Amino acid sequence: MKAVRTIADVRVGDELDPVAFPLTVYRLIMAAGANRDFNSIHHNSEHARATGAPEMYANTIFLMGMWERAVRDWAGPAGELTAIRGFRMRRFNTVGRTTTVHGAVTAVDAATGLVTIALRSEDPDGITVGPGEVDVRLPGAGAAG
Amino acid sequence: MSDPTDDDRPAWVRAWDDMVALVGTDLSDGQTRWGADVVEAGSIRRYAEPLELGSAIHHDEDAARADGHDGLVAPATSLLTFALPPMWRPGEPPLFDAEDRDAQPARSPINNENNGPVPRTAGFFATDLEMDFLRPVLAGERLGLRGRRLVACTPKETRVGRGAFMTIESEIVSDRGDVVARQRTSTYAYDPHLDGEATA
Repeated sequence: MKAVRTIADVRVGDELDPVAFPLTVYRLIMAAGANRDFNSIHHNSEHARATGAPEMYANTIFLMGMWERAVRDWAGPAGELTAIRGFRMRRFNTVGRTTTVHGAVTAVDAATGLVTIALRSEDPDGITVGPGEVDVRLPGAGAAG
Repeated sequence: MSDPTDDDRPAWVRAWDDMVALVGTDLSDGQTRWGADVVEAGSIRRYAEPLELGSAIHHDEDAARADGHDGLVAPATSLLTFALPPMWRPGEPPLFDAEDRDAQPARSPINNENNGPVPRTAGFFATDLEMDFLRPVLAGERLGLRGRRLVACTPKETRVGRGAFMTIESEIVSDRGDVVARQRTSTYAYDPHLDGEATA
């Protein structure tokens, strides 16, 4: 993790370090308790199966938080998230698997400090969320090249 | 006007007609539905733990200020959590009135009650989400949700069941008097396929 990343440090094509999230029952319950999405589909296998899902699965806020974690680790403490787009949950992120977030810079605006990052979440079978985008504003606007 | 007897659409599709007719309208009563608690260091920490979100701006107020923030910063994606009302308040009827292993609480702020003429369905889940974050939210603020404009309602059969995709637009507001985020949430409300029922 870079301590403070500025807009001058960033180029289109830069890749974020992938972040892996092993999804255990323990973790899903911690997430549900913390983000207060207590829907039983996120912590009760039998209930999840009764609704047509293969297993209990990570909730929306937890999945969004995974994207924030990947971007925050990359951007450092001075970055400011300004938007999430294309956050489409294509498949369930089920317990007993690992969801990994991947990202790469697709646009850099040196004048405003705004960086657009393409993100996707994957499990061993492919994309589960996205591909979508996060905009993050970095310091140093107007000073870069 | 067409003769309703000419409508050869399945009954489960027609059941959504009244909701489809409301696309473009605000389904809310116009009031702000305030979150349960003020944003504070403990709830930020608990939000960060399962994510292992370690940036000091979420854990150390002095460090956050040193990095240019005006206080301890709530994760941007936590705003939905902080805008949720409580599960239960003193004086309200019990949430838990059955001992069945998988019995559900009598009510929950996360539900598929869209304040509109939707058919009752057995399941729902979120499918898409977009958010614009207008400024960082700090510890000490209280958030609420305002507005529920129905942007889309599309009946569809999927591999999990028959129901409809709906998109709702809302604002997240602060007790400081401003809008801190805008969100568009899409959900799929459905009845699961019965055993042996064909899937699309």
